[in-house]
Amino acid sequence: MKLPTLSALWKVLRNVVAAVCGLVIVIALLPSRARSQLGLDPCCAMMSVGLNTISGLLRNSVAMPLGSIQQSQQQSANFEEQVVFPMAAISQARNMAVQFGGQFVQMRQLFQLPVASATLPVPQMLEQSLLSGNPDAMSQITSNYYSLYGTVMAQANAPQPIRNLVDMTDAEAQAAMKKAVEIDALADLELQAAEQINQQLQSAAPGTSTILEAETAAWLVRANAYTQSAMAELVRVRSIELANSSGQLKFSASHTATLQTTGNQVLQQGVQ
Amino acid sequence: MRTKTLELLRNFQHGLSRTRRWLFVAVITLCMIPSNTRADGIGDILSLFHTITSTLQGPIGGALSEMQKVSAAVNNFRQQIIWPLALINQTRAFVSATRARYTGLISQIEGIKNTSATLALPMQLELVFRSAQSGSIGQIPSIYAQVYQPVALAGIAQPAQRNLMDIDDAMSMDSLKTAMVSDQTTQSMLTLADSLEQQAMTAAPGSASMVTAQARVADLETEAQLAKMLAAQLRQEATKLAHQNTLLKQRSVATQTLQNQIQHVLAHP
Repeated sequence: MKLPTLSALWKVLRNVVAAVCGLVIVIALLPSRARSQLGLDPCCAMMSVGLNTISGLLRNSVAMPLGSIQQSQQQSANFEEQVVFPMAAISQARNMAVQFGGQFVQMRQLFQLPVASATLPVPQMLEQSLLSGNPDAMSQITSNYYSLYGTVMAQANAPQPIRNLVDMTDAEAQAAMKKAVEIDALADLELQAAEQINQQLQSAAPGTSTILEAETAAWLVRANAYTQSAMAELVRVRSIELANSSGQLKFSASHTATLQTTGNQVLQQGVQ
Repeated sequence: MRTKTLELLRNFQHGLSRTRRWLFVAVITLCMIPSNTRADGIGDILSLFHTITSTLQGPIGGALSEMQKVSAAVNNFRQQIIWPLALINQTRAFVSATRARYTGLISQIEGIKNTSATLALPMQLELVFRSAQSGSIGQIPSIYAQVYQPVALAGIAQPAQRNLMDIDDAMSMDSLKTAMVSDQTTQSMLTLADSLEQQAMTAAPGSASMVTAQARVADLETEAQLAKMLAAQLRQEATKLAHQNTLLKQRSVATQTLQNQIQHVLAHP
């Protein structure tokens, strides 16, 4: 009785152990990403929905604005190329600079034409110094000036006030002549600078032309300053001229008064 | 139903061997396992999707949308405020109209003749020095000498006086010649000004700065030429002043000499 029962129990136990072992082996062998073979995989569906959502977002939130930005930038680039910075207009401006360059050279050459006209040796020397446009020749002006116009009278030949007036006038006349030489030399430099800037303009870009404009503006300020200094010299010449007229009137009045007094004395002596 | 099910199970028990029955049970069990195995992995995927979509919608989409707005705004600002095409064309038309309005009037004024001499020689001299032709400079000395006479001969005037005459004439002629050159360059500068205006009529906003720079250079040229004229005027004025001063010197010396002679006569009657 006991032996068949034990045998049956052993069979059952053996089956159970075999089943459990088989199950354990099967589970151990299962792939980590195994999916159910029945119906749709919920992961695939979610992946599909997610990817569709991302695709839609890329299309609407990324691609559309990017396309719009590209279109806007293209439009902007076209506008700048065709309206703001057309190549034809830029080339035309450069060509104009070439044309102007030729004109500037011609004008400079015109101002270099000889205009000297003196015929006698002494005036010729002074004129040469005055028209030289050479600041190094400044010292020659004084000697040539005195050779032509003479020095201040000797003390015995004129009263001191007259000598002072004459000296002052000589000084201003010489200063004006020297200033004329300076201004001529500066004007030559300005003409050279203008030609050089113009050469740069012949290959300038719209973005760099403003720099050249600034450079030219600086030269213009300088040129105006020199013109102003020349005007000041001119004003001084006229002032000395006016002062001379006034001084001569004063001397005349003084001489007349002296003459009158002397005349009265002579007449009184004659009466007595 | 219940009977049918029991019958089916009984057939199943008897129809299949014990080994096959175990295999069948194992397969059924396996089929039922995977549905719950990777729940945690799906959660991660969902979370990742959520992050991607929120990033696309938020930081990327938002930034792109803002960039789109800024780009459009900049574009509109350039085309409608800074460089509106209609206004560019209107400005070009304005330049063209200004040119048309004033060119005729300016030409009329420029065409006015200022010559006023009535006698033959002065007329000839005036014609030459107003000709604005540097090629005629050589004619000045001879015509000038005919109108104002040449420097006195050595026997007729003192050397100092002759020098004065000569330098005065020289400065006068130098200035007349310089004025002729200046007149000619003025014509050239007016031509350049006209070219600049024509250029302005067709210039684009981007090339206008180049035209302006060119105008500035021309301005510098004019300023230099003006300085040259001013230098000529300074020479003239200085010469005039020196001339007057020399006369004063000569008068002083002459007066002193006269005074000495009178005193000499009075002392020895």
